[in-house]
Amino acid sequence: MNVVVVLGHPSANSYCAAIFQAVSEALKKQHQVSAIRLADENFVTAMSSAERRAYETEQPLISDETKRYAELLQNAEALIFVYPTWWSGLPAQLKGWFERVFVLGVAFRFNANNKIRPNLQNVRHIIGVSTYGSPWRYVKLVNDNGRRTLTRAIRASTGLRTRTMWCGLYALDTCTAADREKFITDTTDKIVRRLNKDVQR
Amino acid sequence: MKTLVIYVHPVEDSFNSAVRDAVISDLSAASHVVRLRDLYAENFNPFLSAAERALHHTPPTTRPELARDVEDLRWCEAIVFVYPTWWAGLPAMLKGWIDRTWMNEVAWVLPAGANTIRPRLTNITRLVAVTTHGSSKFVNALQGEPGKRIITRSIRVMCNRWCRARWIAHYGLDKSTVQDRQHHLETVGQRVVHALR
Repeated sequence: MNVVVVLGHPSANSYCAAIFQAVSEALKKQHQVSAIRLADENFVTAMSSAERRAYETEQPLISDETKRYAELLQNAEALIFVYPTWWSGLPAQLKGWFERVFVLGVAFRFNANNKIRPNLQNVRHIIGVSTYGSPWRYVKLVNDNGRRTLTRAIRASTGLRTRTMWCGLYALDTCTAADREKFITDTTDKIVRRLNKDVQR
Repeated sequence: MKTLVIYVHPVEDSFNSAVRDAVISDLSAASHVVRLRDLYAENFNPFLSAAERALHHTPPTTRPELARDVEDLRWCEAIVFVYPTWWAGLPAMLKGWIDRTWMNEVAWVLPAGANTIRPRLTNITRLVAVTTHGSSKFVNALQGEPGKRIITRSIRVMCNRWCRARWIAHYGLDKSTVQDRQHHLETVGQRVVHALR
């Protein structure tokens, strides 16, 4: 299975980066993994004026970096996002990645009646792994906006049967080292099991 | 009311820029003091780097490049955001502005011994979001309105306890007619003024 794993945390020594590393290493044994560290690849966060103008046309991909990510997406069967939740949403750089890469011809297309149709039907799994400073109850109260964006807005661009999975570590500030260690192993196991089961079917 | 207008759109002749102009002219006419921040025109860098992330618990003096934003946040009594909704949420530029500038000792503070943060922007009593959606209200409701909740819940919590958040949105922009848009432009300014009462 072709798996794309995206890290949304800027620091390579962060806890998120450790989860990202563990998940991609574990998946590499049986799958083709493309691991993307957005910060290390110096991905430009904001959509530029030229890109916004191109967005309305037939050729929205105008830079090499976005073309490369678009190609990865078109062959992906599973998308995994590892990121810290800031202000209940995605970090700006990850949000920018969707804005700049999920464009016409990649994420969606128009049908004969000029209606928007999903174009990432090759994607069968969307998996989010996130760390939250707040406890679960508070995250629910403010609506868990990053999760909504991925499992609803982004999922609408993929196949009808696409499955989503969510692994969250809440109240990170009060977690012990053992909790964090356990979260990494549990999350890795869960993801590997989910994707391996799909391959067997 | 001292009003900070945060405008985010990369293209200068966009519909959102017309909305911005309508909002500012009506606010000025209603004798509000307006400060406009155009994040794209200022070339604001929305990327919160690893080095800056390491300063998360330090005072704002460690980030002198954001001094202007800090000053604006502490000055204003109302914030009006004017932006397009992309992928159900805030554009990365605006999310990055919030990520970077709503910092320790400005937006929130963690008192010694406490395990929850306390709001610090108690000067802000009004939050207004003026946005456009390509998709319909129904589709946005299905998606759970992530952008709306970030403004009316997540960041509102850091403002005054009685802070009121208002949502002024033009849904279904992809299919709207010229008349719809004209109507929105004619009424949006007064709706914002009304929200600041």
